[in-house]
Formats: sequence, C-alpha cells, structure tokens
Amino acid sequence: MRKVAGMPAKVAFERSVAGVVLVMLAIWPVVFNGQSYWVSTILTQTFVLGIAAASLTFLSAYGGMVSLAQVAVYGTCGLVFGNLVATGEAKGLHLGWDRWTSVVAAIAITTGITVVIGAVSSRSSGIYFLMITLTFAVIGNAFFTSVVDFGGFSGVAGLDSYTPSPVGNPNTQPARLYYIGLVLSVLIYALIRYLVRTPFGIALQGVRDEPVRMRSLGYNVPLIRTLAFALAGLFASLAGILYAWTNGAVAPGTMNLEQTVNLLIIAVIGGLARIEGAWLGAFVFIYLNTELFRGNTVPVLGGTFPTFIGFIFLAIVVVSPNGLLGIWDAIARYLFGGPRGGSREPLADLLHEVAGRMRLKGGASTRPREQE
Amino acid sequence: MWKLGLPLAVVAIAGVVAGTSLAARSAASPIKVAIMTDCKGAFGGAFEVDTGGALAAFAQYAGGKPNDPKKPSAGITGAAVAGHPIKIVGYGCGNDTVPLAISETKRLMEQLGADIMIGPLSGDEAVTVAHYAVSHPKKTFVIGTAGSQDPTLQIHPKNLFRYHGDGAQWNAGIGEIAYKRLHWRKAAIIMDDYSFGWTSAAGMIADFCGIGGQIVKRVFPPLNTTDYSSFIQQLPPPSKVDGYFWVVGGTGTGASLKAFTQAYGKLKASQFIGNLFFAFLGNFSEVAPQLVGSYVGGFGTAPGLQTPAAKHYEGIVAKWYPGLNGGNYADGFVYNYFNAAWALIRGLKAVGGDLSQGQKLLQSHMPRTNASGYQVSSGGLVHLDSRNQAIQDQYPLQIVKTGGKLGVSLVGFVPNVDQTFGGLFKTTSPPPSEKQPPCVKHKFPWTGKIRVIKNGHITNQVIK
Repeated sequence: MRKVAGMPAKVAFERSVAGVVLVMLAIWPVVFNGQSYWVSTILTQTFVLGIAAASLTFLSAYGGMVSLAQVAVYGTCGLVFGNLVATGEAKGLHLGWDRWTSVVAAIAITTGITVVIGAVSSRSSGIYFLMITLTFAVIGNAFFTSVVDFGGFSGVAGLDSYTPSPVGNPNTQPARLYYIGLVLSVLIYALIRYLVRTPFGIALQGVRDEPVRMRSLGYNVPLIRTLAFALAGLFASLAGILYAWTNGAVAPGTMNLEQTVNLLIIAVIGGLARIEGAWLGAFVFIYLNTELFRGNTVPVLGGTFPTFIGFIFLAIVVVSPNGLLGIWDAIARYLFGGPRGGSREPLADLLHEVAGRMRLKGGASTRPREQE
Repeated sequence: MWKLGLPLAVVAIAGVVAGTSLAARSAASPIKVAIMTDCKGAFGGAFEVDTGGALAAFAQYAGGKPNDPKKPSAGITGAAVAGHPIKIVGYGCGNDTVPLAISETKRLMEQLGADIMIGPLSGDEAVTVAHYAVSHPKKTFVIGTAGSQDPTLQIHPKNLFRYHGDGAQWNAGIGEIAYKRLHWRKAAIIMDDYSFGWTSAAGMIADFCGIGGQIVKRVFPPLNTTDYSSFIQQLPPPSKVDGYFWVVGGTGTGASLKAFTQAYGKLKASQFIGNLFFAFLGNFSEVAPQLVGSYVGGFGTAPGLQTPAAKHYEGIVAKWYPGLNGGNYADGFVYNYFNAAWALIRGLKAVGGDLSQGQKLLQSHMPRTNASGYQVSSGGLVHLDSRNQAIQDQYPLQIVKTGGKLGVSLVGFVPNVDQTFGGLFKTTSPPPSEKQPPCVKHKFPWTGKIRVIKNGHITNQVIK
C-alpha cells in the first residue's frame, strides 16, 4: 500500500477530498446565491436526512443493529417540539412554550423514549431487531395519526415561525439553517468517530462481532446496545428539530412506512459500513429526487421516482452492499492498493481480480477487510 | 477634440444602457405558473382531471392550445396575457399528506421558480400551502380545490385566494333537509379524523343543529381505517337515532357502510345522509343500491343544472378536453380548478401581466367576483369575502336510480353560502375538529330559503 505523508495514500486522498468538500460547503451560500433552492432545500435537507441516516449507520456499522425506528424518532421529536412550541392557529396542544425550552424538552423526551425502545429491542438481534424497530415505527405513525390532540393526521404546521432568534426565518434567511445543519453534521460525524475509539465504542464493536464472548467477559450487552440506541436517538432527535424548522410542518406522514424505507435506502446507497455514507446517500437521494425527477416521470427512462430509486437500491445491494462508498473502496484498492474485500463486495472482488491478473498494485490477499 | 468626444461618448453609452434597459423592461417576460395537485394517494386519480380543468381555462381565456386533448398534463402552448407568455413550469404531485405537499410546493415555487400556484387539491395540503403563503408574500396562490376551513378563515394570508367553498359550505342546507324532509331530530355522525373530515362534518353539524336537531354522538375513525367494526359499535343503533351523517371517504365509504350492514343488517336509505363522498358511487358499489333515495351533501357544483351559464361552462371544458373525467364536467375537481385558473387570468389581465412590486398589484387586482358556471345568485357571480374566500351557491344531491343505473340528482338550491355560516364560524374560533363546532341553534341566511330543483331547473318552491 502506498503512503503519502506517513498515512496510506487512500486515507490521504479521502481527507483531501473531504477538506475540499467542506470548504466548498462552507463558502457555498456566500459565493453562490444564499437564497437559492440548493441552499434552502437540497443541501439543507441533505444535512437533515444525513444526520438521521447517520444515526442508522452508526447503529449498523458499530453496533450491528439495523434500526427501522430512526424515522419515527425524528418524526416524534418534530411533533413533540411542534406541540410544545406552537400556539394560535396551529393544530396540536397549543402550549406555546419558550422556543429553546421546547427544543431541549423535545430532544430530552424523544431521547428518553428511545431509551425505552432500545431497552426493549436490545435483547434481540438480526431480523428480530429489524422487526421490533419496524413495529415501533408503525406504532409511532399510528399513534400520532390517531391522537388528534397532538395534531392527528394533519400534524402541526407553521413551525417555521417558531425558530429561536439565531436560526432566524428559514424562508428569508435559509443560509442560517444551512450552516446550523452543516456544523451539526460535522460535529456528529466527529463525535461518532471519537466515540468508536473510546472504551464504550470498542465494547460496542465487540458486542457487534461477538456478543456471547462479550457477555462471558462480563460486559452488560443489553446496556451497551441500549446506550448506543439512545445515542442514535439523540442524533435522530436533532434531525427532527432541523426537519421541523426547515419544512415548517411535521405530521404522521413524516414518519410513515414510505419515509422509513426512504431513510434505509439513503443509508444503503451511501454505505452502511461508513458514517460519511449517510450524508453521501442523502445527497444522492435528494439530488436525484429533485433535479432528475423534475416532473412526474423520470426523463428518458420513464417511470416514477420510487421505481427509479428502487432499481438503484437493488443494483447497490447486488453489486456493492457497502453502497457508493463500497464502490469507492473498490476503486481505491485498485488505484492505491491495499487489502482486498471479502465475499460481501462483489464489485470489489471483481476489480481486485482484474488488478491481480493485470499484475497491477495489490495482491490476491485473503486478509479480512480493514475494520474501523 | 477629446473634450468634445468625451461627453459624446458618455451620452452614447448612457443611451445604449438606457435603450437596453428599456428594451429589457418592455420585453414580455413569461409568467410562470405551477399547477399543484395529487398524482398519488386517495386522490391520485384526479391528477389529469384537475390539470384539465385549469388548462381548459388557459385555453379558453388566454389563447392556449392543448398539446394533447386526451392528456391534459401534456401541457398547452401559446397561452399569453397582455403579451406575456404563460409558462406552466410544473405539475405538483402530492399524495394528500403534509410532507409531500411541502416538498412539492418548494420544488414548484423555488426550484422551478413559479410566480403563481394554482392548487393544491386537499384539505391538509391547503393548510400547508397557506402557511407557506404567509412566509412568501411575493408569490400568489389560488387554491385548486380543497375543503379545509383554516386556509382562509383562520390563517388567511393576503396572497391566497379561494374561488370555491370549503367543506362546510359544501354541506350547507343538508341539515335543514334532514330536519324538514326526513324529520330527523336526533342524529349521530361518523367522520374521517382529519382536516377535511372535520370541516365537512362541521357543515352538517352546524346546519342540522342550527335548525334544532341534536347530534347525540360523534365517532372518528382514523383516515385509511380498513376495519370499521369497532367504530360502528360506537354509533348508537338505528333504533336510538333518526339517522346518521356519514363523512367517510375513499375506500372507507364502502368499508364503513359494509361494517354497518354486518352489525345492523340492510341499510335504510332514509337513515343515511352522506357528504360529497356519497356522490362517488363507485367507491361503495356493493352497498350503494341500498342507499337509493339518500341525500348527499354537495361539492359546490350542480350536475345537470339547466342554465345557460352551466351549459356554457361545460361546453368550454368539452371543447378543449372532450371526455375529461368521463364527460362529467360538473365534478368539483374540474370545476374548481377551472374557476381558479380563470380568476387568475382575469387578475393577470387586469394588471397587464405585471408581477412587479412583489405581485402586490396582481394580488390587489385579483377579481372579487367570478361568473362561475353553476352560480345563480347575485347575478351569477361568486363573490369573495374580505378573507379572499368564495361566497357561493350550494346544491344538495340525492342518490337516484334511473334506467337501472345509479346516479346523483340535484334536489336543492342553497343561495350564497358564506364561510362563516352567518357568523357562526369566526376567525377567532378554533378550526373544525372532533369537538368543533358545538351543536347550537343558529339562524343562517339561507334558513327557510332552500329552493327545490326539479329536472335541473330551480323552482320557486322552498323545501318544507
């Protein structure tokens, strides 16, 4: 494997690209039009959905838990916030609390709920964990649809008028929410990267790989899983607050089955093995949905957007289970050399095979792929 | 020499700049219009119908030509107002839910840069768009066909207009018919538990209680319920009430009525009154034959009305989109979108297509009256109230069987129904909900003035 400045060439390249992307994102509203659709919607929504997807990816990549409850968590947080803060014409409880108090209370309440969900779900794994979290997602949707006092099917609207002063008016000052989303995304990414190197993170990965052995070593496996779930709930709750501010309304439709599947698609497209895949997947999903799908059918190919994204999802699952970042990993190994992927990476294997036969960089190593 | 040349050059440059600027100003900039409707969900089938209604108006009154008379969403070409070409920048594809209404509204208004929106289709979507309109005063919104009360009564942004009634207005008069013709005194109501269900039910409750009836029970199945048996059990049995007001839509209409037959046997037509969903007979074809004779709330339209204005309107739609909606041009989806687009064109003509000053000029010149096809009162003009909400005639219906075929027929004419129901609903009162409005006696402007319609003709006889 080639090295640049003491680090693997691939890592050096990725960090350079990340730096350039971050600088571009930081100056985007200043250089380009701060009021544009790109700032107000495409990129801001990328940050919001990226944070929500990161909560899913965090659980999957480091805890081995694929949760379908993350959309319900951010929808719940948005609805709790809406009910606490709104007053006047908006549907819901009309409590009219202070804006910051409402934000903190909504995050605390929702994170508390995720502790309970996590405690219930933590003793299961695999398909059973998936089903339990799906059940909670469906319950969340049905609960808020049925309980009209919380807004019912219509949800709570007009929330863009209830932003704290630093956030400003998302309609006339979209750049502020954009920067808040960007900063939160970077902070959450950094926090996850830090956490997975702490004793808690190491234990979580141990629970992911060998839960029985971890239990026999004296670790409280359900507690570790519950804590991870609560942490992911905190991230999803933050996404819920941003969602409420950006869209101005939250309804049970925000957390229905379609949205649940969409978040899973986002995480899978980006790559469930790496946190940054969450934002990449969110960007690709939103970009395709808004820029390519400008009418009601996909140009040239025909069909509606769900059909189109469904095919992409299928292709990703078949060709590169680790999503677009999995494809990049394969290309990077081809370019920079490095350990080959396992049988979970058909595209990576194929490229590696080609590389080997052409006697380029990288050998036919059978070492397990590098873990975080 | 250069002393002379410099001023000349300055004048020449100033002239060029001024000329360019003048030319730019006089060049007719396009007016970008978006049509927002549903292409998915419960009302997804109305996508082409709504679009056809709106585009028929652009063809008739703005010189457009449909690209495909069988497929309205193929668009129109050549439409213009005062030399400004009308550009339909996009067709919104909602699904009756708030999140998609938000993202589609943003896509149309911000990404595609629409100046004006015609739409949306449904109640909660209209609440969403009304909130959006509040924070986007430099854009103009004309609701396509949506029945929630909040957008104009409670939220009422100045840049939002509705040239048709809300769900409560559509049911004006039906309570009086129940009281006088069916002699109901105590009734129960079952309603979809969301904005449109509440607003539609509010019209029935207000009208029935206003004349002296009592609502003894309100039942609220969530939208998209499939098993209604538990909700039917919450209703009083047929022996305990004179009748039921039925406000359950989509696939729920048939499922809920079927559940009622399973609990209490065959339906008795005189014990059931439905809102406009009873007019969509295909949604409950299995039990619909048992309801021949049941009264139905309206949709602000008058299918079969024999007036020149009605014929004229139907002729326009048939001319541009023959066979639209199976030839049923009296459908509220067609009619309301048509009138929304027509009113917009009139507003644009009044200001010569000028959208400057943040569209303030257009918004202040949007017509306060419109000669909608089924309006008879006030010289055939629908009036807007101070909150840009239509005051409109309403037409209760009845399920009939003619020639072995089920259909709906006009039975009454309720003149000039206003959104406040003669002051019962106020801007400060909570929007319709499970508990709103309360059942109170109230005299409406139309009380005792509902006229009988026979064979499509409005008679002088009032309903007794």
